[in-house]
Amino acid sequence: MNSILSLTGVSKSFDATEIIRSVDLDIIEGERHAIIGPNGAGKSTLYNLITGRYSVSQGSIRLRGRELAGLQPFEINRLGLARSFQVTNIFSNLTVFENIRCALLWSMQYRYSFWHLVRKQKQLNEESEQVLQQIGLGARKDMLAGVLTYAEQRSLELGITIAGGADVILLDEPVAGMSHTEADQSVELIKRISEGKTLVVVEHDMGVVFNLADRISVLVYGEIIATGVPEEIRNDIKVQEAYLGSLDEQDA
Amino acid sequence: MAKVRGLLVWIASLAVLLLLPGLFDSVLSLSILNQMGITIIFALSYNMLLGQGGMLSFGHAVYFGLGGFMAVHSLNYIEAEVFSLPVILLPLIGGLFGLLFAVFIGSFSTRRAGTVFAMISLGIGEMIAACSLIFVGFFGGEEGISGDRTMAPEFFGFDFAQDLEVYYLIAGWVFVATLLMYLFSQTPAGRIANAVRDNPERAEFIGYSQRMVRFISFCGAGFFAGVAGGLFAINYEILTEENLNAITSGNVLLMTYIGGTGVFVGPIVGAVLLTLLQTVLSNYTELWQLYVGLLFVATVMFMPAGLTGVLMIHTVAWKNGRLRQLILPYITVGVPAFVLLCAIVGLLEMLQFYRHGVVGEHEMTLFFVSVDTSSVWPWIVTLLIAATAGYLVKALTPRLLSAWASANAPLERAKT
Ligand SMILES: Nc1ncnc2c1ncn2[C@@H]1O[C@H](COP(=O)(O)OP(=O)(O)OP(=O)(O)O)[C@@H](O)[C@H]1O
Ligand SMILES: [Mg+2]
Repeated sequence: MNSILSLTGVSKSFDATEIIRSVDLDIIEGERHAIIGPNGAGKSTLYNLITGRYSVSQGSIRLRGRELAGLQPFEINRLGLARSFQVTNIFSNLTVFENIRCALLWSMQYRYSFWHLVRKQKQLNEESEQVLQQIGLGARKDMLAGVLTYAEQRSLELGITIAGGADVILLDEPVAGMSHTEADQSVELIKRISEGKTLVVVEHDMGVVFNLADRISVLVYGEIIATGVPEEIRNDIKVQEAYLGSLDEQDA
Repeated sequence: MAKVRGLLVWIASLAVLLLLPGLFDSVLSLSILNQMGITIIFALSYNMLLGQGGMLSFGHAVYFGLGGFMAVHSLNYIEAEVFSLPVILLPLIGGLFGLLFAVFIGSFSTRRAGTVFAMISLGIGEMIAACSLIFVGFFGGEEGISGDRTMAPEFFGFDFAQDLEVYYLIAGWVFVATLLMYLFSQTPAGRIANAVRDNPERAEFIGYSQRMVRFISFCGAGFFAGVAGGLFAINYEILTEENLNAITSGNVLLMTYIGGTGVFVGPIVGAVLLTLLQTVLSNYTELWQLYVGLLFVATVMFMPAGLTGVLMIHTVAWKNGRLRQLILPYITVGVPAFVLLCAIVGLLEMLQFYRHGVVGEHEMTLFFVSVDTSSVWPWIVTLLIAATAGYLVKALTPRLLSAWASANAPLERAKT
């Protein structure tokens, strides 16, 4: 099988502490891959390394065989990799519609154009509308993103991430802090938008993880201690010792 | 529908620009109008940085001044027949020179916004101001550089010897520059500048280099500041160090902020208001700069969105059809607030007169009333008025606030 995103021997230290320790991880094209692990294990840090927010101390990260080291976040994004953030990261003083439209601009080849009027770009506006409908914020279109409710902001966060049509999508705890119904809706939405794409998702909610993931990797203290299909992870002794004591309760 | 309305606004603005000299045709008012026009372009260009791009610059006058100097030099070259150019295209030279310099400075100053950007802009501003006393050939030292606009080739029979002709030249540029800056804000580069202003980091994760986005806005701002500088050169026919120093940079910051950075017309309002204060108020009181400073402080403290921002926050109440509920509370707070303001102004003016007035003169006219500043009574009375008015404002404000809350209430409910 083709791996679309592959990490080999990736390490990251902040000062003297090594937060990510020689991680090897292959994400296969088209799969939905969950990364789980206790708080502070380094999941968000791993995302920050992949997306160019932090630079790797050691090792290599390749997207479709292309080395990402040294690339800026915007360059990596242009290669078709998008991410969402654990802490909502939106454009609070822009309208909801504008948030989505901005997220579409680069992928629709507008680049830094100052000779197109956005209002006149029919396709751009239609696609923005479509994304809004998809994430269920059609009625909030003209509101400032900053005044949305928490769950709505999480949806918008997701919308900004997927709008550009990236084919590798990294989500960081997309349903954390949501009520049960909201979380269920979000999971359905994530399934829909990740169709035909490669999805990596960091999530604490085991229900969500086992519902969503084709494969799961377990990150503990900056090391991947196991990767496999959900059944394998459930039965893995190392995982159970390190982490999953609570899994059976949650799963029941 | 919205499109038609937009078009109407532009047509109306054009009509106003054309008709203004008919209403205000004295020499003084024409010169005020000309100054206003130049300032409007300058302030709008500044807002491309501050309001739209989130870059706080303390040195925007550099681009204004350099553009202006280049334009005056061009006037002299035209006079010396080095090359020929109609006067109306001179602002373009100013603009291109401003742009050139902005490309150079922006290439390193736009890496980050915030404090770093602000400090660099301050440093560059100081540096250029210092240069103006060193490179005397270009900046003309203390006297500056002067030129003569009437020496340029006539443009369809206009030689721009009269202020009215200059007015129409400036008005034309105001219209075109304003339109272009507005259109820029509606392009991908302009929209994404807002996004970078709000959240530069997130913008990088949707494919945009925050640095490049800022750089483009920065260049645009430099260009239009240069255009304003070119118009200044045409209007006053002289440029000095004052036109590019920190005071001019500070002024454009003040007026943009007071007018409001969040609305496109904000800087226009600020430029008109500040030009009026500068030209009209300065005829009545020596303390006008103090009042401008107070206005700025009050804006920062009580209405950080600026004058136009204050108007804008009423749109919710207006859409809800509840604007009327606010009229009475506004009047009940507004009247004592106005009285308080007058009393403070009165005290300041009396103090100024007392300390710096002609020796032996005690009588001054304050709000059409003759006042003897050597007597203690005017002071006591004014203080009492101020105290009473202040107390009333404080006592009545809670009512205004609750009226405000109820006028905006439906939105609060709709949110949940
Ligand atoms: N920029 C940084 N500088 C120093 N230490 C950092 C930095 N970013 C993260 N860390 C440290 O790295 C460790 C892993 O953090 P990270 O946010 O990646 O964990 P996580 O697995 O995402 O946890 P959570 O489930 O709580 O989100 C933490 O101990 C954190 O303090
Ligand atoms: Mg995390």
